[in-house]
Formats: sequence, structure tokens, C-alpha cells
Amino acid sequence: MAARRGPARGPTGARFERRRRAAAAMAEEPPEDGAARTLPSLRQLSRGLPFGRSHGRLGISASGRLTLPALCSQENLDAQKTAFVLRKAWTLYSVTPLYGFRRGCLRDYARLLSAFIAAEKQKGLAVEVGVELDIKVALSSLADLRGSELDQAGLLVQLSSRSRASSRNSEDKLLWSGWFCSMFGDDLSENVPENFTCLPLFLTHGAESYTALVGSWFQKTFDCCFRRLAISPLNLSWMVAMWAGYKLERAASAVELVFSMPRLSHPLDISYAIHPEDAKALWDTVQKTPGEITQGEVAIFMDCLYAHFHRHFKIHLSAAKLVKVSTGIASAHCDGIVKILHSQYLPGVLMLLTELAISQIQ
Amino acid sequence: MHFNLPLSKSVVVSHLGLTLMSASTEVQLFIPWKGASPLNLPVAWSYFLQPFSFPGGSIMDETVAEYIRRTVLKMPRDEIKMMLQKWGFLSEAQLQTLNFHQQKDNISQEVVQLCEENSAGIKQAAALDIIYNHIYQNKRMWSVYQMKKSGEEEEYFDIADFKKKFKGRIRSALKNVTITFKEYEDNAIWIRVAWGTPHKKPNQYKPSYVVYHSQTPYVFISASVLKSNLPLLCQALIVASNYRDIREMELRSHSLNSLKDIVFKRYSQNFQTYSPKPVQGWNVEAENADRRIVHENRSVKERIHRLNQESFGCGPQPKLEFAQYRLDTMFKSDPKMDVLDKKEPFRCLVKFSSPHLLESLKSLAPLGMADAPLSPLLTCITHKARNYFKIREKKESFVSP
Repeated sequence: MAARRGPARGPTGARFERRRRAAAAMAEEPPEDGAARTLPSLRQLSRGLPFGRSHGRLGISASGRLTLPALCSQENLDAQKTAFVLRKAWTLYSVTPLYGFRRGCLRDYARLLSAFIAAEKQKGLAVEVGVELDIKVALSSLADLRGSELDQAGLLVQLSSRSRASSRNSEDKLLWSGWFCSMFGDDLSENVPENFTCLPLFLTHGAESYTALVGSWFQKTFDCCFRRLAISPLNLSWMVAMWAGYKLERAASAVELVFSMPRLSHPLDISYAIHPEDAKALWDTVQKTPGEITQGEVAIFMDCLYAHFHRHFKIHLSAAKLVKVSTGIASAHCDGIVKILHSQYLPGVLMLLTELAISQIQ
Repeated sequence: MHFNLPLSKSVVVSHLGLTLMSASTEVQLFIPWKGASPLNLPVAWSYFLQPFSFPGGSIMDETVAEYIRRTVLKMPRDEIKMMLQKWGFLSEAQLQTLNFHQQKDNISQEVVQLCEENSAGIKQAAALDIIYNHIYQNKRMWSVYQMKKSGEEEEYFDIADFKKKFKGRIRSALKNVTITFKEYEDNAIWIRVAWGTPHKKPNQYKPSYVVYHSQTPYVFISASVLKSNLPLLCQALIVASNYRDIREMELRSHSLNSLKDIVFKRYSQNFQTYSPKPVQGWNVEAENADRRIVHENRSVKERIHRLNQESFGCGPQPKLEFAQYRLDTMFKSDPKMDVLDKKEPFRCLVKFSSPHLLESLKSLAPLGMADAPLSPLLTCITHKARNYFKIREKKESFVSP
């Protein structure tokens, strides 16, 4: 699954301007809107996008500051339909735009994919040894999983098994699921010609072998490219700073950063877990403007944590590699594995990940 | 009729109601003719037979059989023979009959069959389990306990007395237990206790292990999941060993030997005195014979090396896998940064883990990942004999309660 370059990108300034106008428009809405807005504060989610793409690369722009269009409110995101996302470890991939994808042909695609998987099994690419399984493929649209109207609706692929031996009323066992999504991925979709569908983020849960099967079918059919999405320590630090600042009603789990020093003769792992209230208190004093995050603020936040650690142990955590961050909202691992724990902040997390995926494509 | 029976075969002479035990010599069995009544036995038989009454009954208990089978399955295939030999319950001749080149499933079945011949009971099965766990002691997590003596009397340690008191104390509270002892050359007494309840037989699959060196006040316990039995276990230990009290130390590891090294002070200790001379035998130039390469900061490197030696000592470090610190200290920042200035502590939990933690920490300063000398919070692990800490602020310095 090698990467290929996606469509060209537009000028920086125009995109930036559009976002700011959108933010201003949304900001005028009254935050309290009855029961629909159950979020503690809509503005809470209007945090700056960390990954300033004004330089065309994943990382931080000179100003390193972005304002976010307000996210879809809770009412758009049916908790029932998105429950499958929560509390599962999803492996992340970036996907280049799909060519010739028709939303109306989902059932046909399911049949084709099913036949493909059966054929691969015949060829001897056994996915499970010694088990006679009928793999059932289901494709469905996730209309709610999108950021703005410009986004394509999400696409869910599920592989279930029905053992041939069992009777018709036995339950199908879900073997593997994967879903494509775009959450405010306008950067990509606006520059793309007709006939292309932009769903840059792909998340999978299940055996690697099934991921390979599904991925190769999509690659063949829609001429797209999958690539594993790694998360750099820099982006992990953005995530932990941002998520640490979110308020959660009930007692949340600790804000944990896991560092690794793998190249020592005896590798060392350090888990640095901070009480969520104290981490939030620290972040609140660091963040100067609500609704905005700057790279400088994230750096200060991390430096504070490093300094506190150094004061006790005399070890320079900055020399270690940040491999995993974990908060009550979500956790992310540098190999591109995330787990989302709170439906409330699902759009925000997905938006971050979409951003990462787009940066990898371009 | 005379039969010369090979020793490996056991003959259940059913109509006699006897099981032939493995004998050390060849057996000549005079089997009466097939038609004869069992009561008309010829008097002149020469045979070697075990006494009629067996400890566990004539047939081995199914649960014992299953337990032995599972214990053998745990062992790596090429070590099964060695462990069975150490066990000593099966004779050398019986072991010869075993085929150790087949699947472990089959090996274990054959072993169970042999044990059946010998009428193994739970005692023997427990002994086999101890042997396995003694060799694979590093699979378990061990905690260290320290006992305190009541007086200063020098008491001669009597192992028989110890065992009797230990068993007595436990059995007085709980009837359904299996207690097994084994002594090893290094003065270690291994105790295995399988716990039951007043109404249930002991669960052999979740035993507790205790390792006690009688000349020391230290006990190493690998408790099973059934933690409720821990107080009884501790009580039995102090009663049996004539101590007054026992407390758990904040020291845990998989490596039993390293725990012993730490509490018995068998590692090379850090030198308390400051020595300004450079350490002999460590030469930066020796690292690189090429004279064209010059180390710019050689003196810095030497200094770091020396400080490291002072903190950790020269010899190999005891093997620990983790250290945990609960920090309840204040967050102090550079006033310029204008950040958090709370009056309450900044609560953190820091956990270090590594296959060999102390060696790993020792290597940090020379690599530039840490300052030298390393923090006393890390270097005190061995001489304070603990790897769980609670750190609170006390004026300028740190204390661990």
C-alpha cells in the first residue's frame, strides 16, 4: 500500500479566510440551545487546529494558530449509531480519494467484496486456519459521521461470519469492521475533480489479514491508496494538551503520557500519569485565548511537565520518545491506534485525525 | 506358570485384587491357572508386593491425575525428563520407558499412567509443582516481607518444629489446605499452600508460595489471587518462626534472586565516601584506538562516569522490572512562564519499567538523557530495599514516608 500524491492543493490564504468566516458565523449562535446542546460548552470544542497546514506539511505553521469551525452539535450525532466507535482500538490509515464510487451501489459492492474474499480464500490466503467460515459483507452509509455538508458521509464495512454448521437462527459474529470518514476534510474535497469521493480517514478494528483483503479490493476497485497513519510525538503532544483541557462531568481517568527509550541496552518505558484536575488546571493557566491553541502554548505545557519530572528524577523526558497519550476523552498511540471514550468529543477527535490523514496524503 | 515381568509394566492382577507395585528387582509371579478359584492360592509364591493398604486408596484420584497432567504440560518438552528426575517419584526405569520425543499431550498422559502405577497422591503432585515453580520462579511476582523478633534470644532453628507449628497454625483455622515443604541447598525453605474453604477442597491451581531463609527475618511470598488468606499465612509464619510481627515491604519483582540480593545486601554497594581520583581502568581512549579522534568533553564524561559509579556501585545491579512513584509535590515553575501556581500538590503517578530497570537507569547519564548524579529517588532503590514510593514535599527536600 504505497502512498501516492493526491490532487494539488489550493492557496493557503483563501482557505484560512474561509475558516475564520465560518467560525465567526457559528460563533454568533447562542451557546445555550435547550436540551439539544448537552455539551458543557460548544465553545469548548472550538479549539484551534494544531496542525497548521498553511505550510503544506503536517506540523506547525509559523503562527501555529488556527481557529476551528464550530462542530456539529450533539443532535446531529446520534449516540446510538456512533456507539460502535467508542471504546474500541482503531487502527488508522489515510486513503486517497476514491474514483468512481457510487453511494447507491453499496449492495453491489458488498457482493463484489464478498466474492473477492471468497476467491482469495480459495487461492489459499487462509484467514483462519481450519475453520469453515462464510464471510458476510455489509456496507452501509454513516450519514451522521460527517462534519460539514461538504464532507462525504461515512462508509462502514463489516465482515461477519456465519459458521456453515450452525442453523439459520444463529447470530452472526462480527469479525472485522472498518469505516471511512471525513470530518471537516474540506481541504481535500474542494480541490478534487468530479467523480472522486474524499474519505481520507480509514479506521479498522479486527484481524490484520481482513484489513489487507478489504484494502486490496478497494484499491483495485476505486484506484485509491491506503497508508498506515503514524502519529508523531509532536502531534501526540498537541492531542494530550487539547484533551487534557476538556472538562468531563464525572471523575475522569488520569492524563497519561507514555515515553519510551528503546535504544538503550535495556529499554526503558516511563509512564507519567497526572491527576486530570491538576492537568486541566495547568492547561487552563497556559492557554491564553479560549477557542484557540498555539504551538507555543502546547510547548509550554509540555515543558512544564518535563520540568516537573526533571526536578524529581533528573531525567530529560524530552530526550525520550512520546509513544502514547491517554486521557478520559481518548487515547492515541504513535503507531496510529486510537481509542475514543466519549461520544461527546467524537467530532473533535475525528476532525484531528482527518487533518492528519489529509496531511499524509498531500 | 512363571512370568518374568519387565518392571515397566504394571500388572493388575484383578482376581487377586492387588496392584503390583514397581519393584527394584525383577519379579517372579506365580499366577494361578485360569480356572482356579482365587482362594486356592499356592503357598509357595515368591513375589515382592507392597502392603495392602495404600495411602490414597488403590486408584489415584482423578483430580490428582489431572493436576499432574497439567503440571507436566506446563513444562518445556526438553526439560520434562530433568524435572521428573528431580522429583524422584518415578523410578529411573520407569522414566526410561517414556518417549520424550512425542507431543507433550502424549508425554503427560504417559506420565500420569506411571503415576497411577505408583499411586501418586496430592502430596506427590504438590511436590512436582514446587519443583516446576522453583525452576520457573521468575514467572511469578514476589513480594518481600520482614519479620521482627520479640527478643534477642538466640534460638536454634529446628526445621521439624517450624513445619509442625506452621501446619498446626494454618490447620487450626482452615482444615482444607494442602501444605508442602521443600528445602534447598541455599538454606531456602519453600512452602506451598493450596487453599480451600470450610466446604471446598483446596484449589490446587492457585497456591501460594513462600520462600523463607531461616537465618534471616525475610520472607518472600508469591500470593495467589486469593488474597484473603494472606493474614493467616503471615500469622502462621511468625508463629512457626518465633517472631513477633511481620510487615510487607514496598518491594516487588519477578526476579526472586534479585530481591534476595537486595535485602541480603549481596549486590556491590555504592561507595559512601567521595573519591576525587578518577576511576582506574576506565579510559576514554580505550574506546577508540584511532588517535585522530579526540574526545572534546572527556573530563565531563569521566566525571559523569565517576558519579554514576558512586551512585550505583561498580558491580551488576539486582534485576528489577519496575519502580513506581506517587508524587504529591508542589508544582514549581519559572515565574516568567506565568503558569500554574497552586497551593495544592500536583498529583502524579510515575512508573518506570524495563527488563532490567537499574542497569537501564545507570545507562541514562552517560548517554546524556539524564543528569549525573541521578536523582536519589532512583539511586536509593537498592539500599532502601523498595520500589514503591510515596513522595511528599517537605520544605526543600523530598521525603518518602
